[in-house]
Amino acid sequence: MNSNTPDPEPNPNADATPCAYTEYREGDAVDELPATGDGATGLEADVWDALYEIEDPEMPISIVDLGLIYGVSVEDGAVAVDMTLTYSGCPARDMLTGQVEDAVAAVDGVEDAELRLVWSPEWTVEMVTQSGKNDLQEFGLSV
Amino acid sequence: MPAFDSPASLDDEQAEALEALLLELADDEYVQAERYTEWQVRAPTLESDLALANNAQDELGHARLWYDVLEDLGHEEHELIYEREPDEWRHSTLTERPFDDGDWADVILRHYLYDVAEELRLEALEESSYAKIADRVGKIQNEEAYHREHAENWMERLADDDESSERLQDAVDRLFPHALTLFEAGSADLEETIVEAGFRDASLAELREEWLSIVVPYLDELGLETPVSEIIQYDDYDLEVTDDTLPEVRGRDGTHTEAWEELHAEFTNTYRELERSEATKIMAKPE
Repeated sequence: MNSNTPDPEPNPNADATPCAYTEYREGDAVDELPATGDGATGLEADVWDALYEIEDPEMPISIVDLGLIYGVSVEDGAVAVDMTLTYSGCPARDMLTGQVEDAVAAVDGVEDAELRLVWSPEWTVEMVTQSGKNDLQEFGLSV
Repeated sequence: MPAFDSPASLDDEQAEALEALLLELADDEYVQAERYTEWQVRAPTLESDLALANNAQDELGHARLWYDVLEDLGHEEHELIYEREPDEWRHSTLTERPFDDGDWADVILRHYLYDVAEELRLEALEESSYAKIADRVGKIQNEEAYHREHAENWMERLADDDESSERLQDAVDRLFPHALTLFEAGSADLEETIVEAGFRDASLAELREEWLSIVVPYLDELGLETPVSEIIQYDDYDLEVTDDTLPEVRGRDGTHTEAWEELHAEFTNTYRELERSEATKIMAKPE
């Protein structure tokens, strides 16, 4: 170790704030997202209703209003749901995906339910619906 | 548009190359996380304890994203994690090295070396020709955004103190050869296919050159000398890495340091003891 080395200059680009990690990063809004089932009819509307009933495990907000559902497609009785998670290391992943599969399969007229986890585009707080923002505000979270 | 949207569009060699690439990605993340978790309730401050635990959770999430893609190739996550023999793992030996008690400089240095490499590797996967890889990169990059910054904050703090700086130098001497294995290929043929098929759009040699051009001057500024410092001249980082700058075992080819067997035995212990053939879920499915 060379003791003549001058003290390293702090990195001028590092503008860390004490709690930077706990902030949700803001993202760009994505045109077709969040998907909310607005205007859906028939069996598809029933599936959306069932999805609305499911809440995030940590906050009193529907997973639809949280923006986790990217799409629902219905072909005869076969339903496919595209869904993402806020965090890749989500410990509630199996619980939540199991709950969604079961809820969709239980809808009258659904013969087959498939859940596809998707990761692109990445979920951001921009995907929370207005009604979801209200729910979170009531809970004490401002987004 | 990515050229390959399912394994069905791959020929045999491409499928084998894709599997090799994914195993390297997933195993690196998984084993790096395993070692981070050893610092829980032992890190020097509560903040740093939480930060490392958080890093570990991020890396486990990312390992899972890559193991998910391996499921397309006929694998299952529980089989990959709990049922593979130690010599079937493909992580770099950097991630498996044990810590001396309380050697915080060691974990910070490997955190730094690893996360710079990871940043470069993810960049090279952004335009991957395999759709499911390209789809996941943005999510991971978002979650990785603070990793390097966290490591650098600590590197600079440690280098500023005589005793910690000595510990950092010891860690560089020990870990740098292992870090170079991040850029070793498990098989030269498969590495060629990985690049040719466009699964990754930079070769390991290119990634290593870029990595060296970042970490060597950075460590140098902090007063730390690397084993390759002497052979770098005129800022040419495109090195011929020789056997004596690498450890005897390379990780990527399935050879590992003895510490790996122990770690592997530890995290698979419960699974074996309970004679599991699948990973259990924390909660039963709701009625």
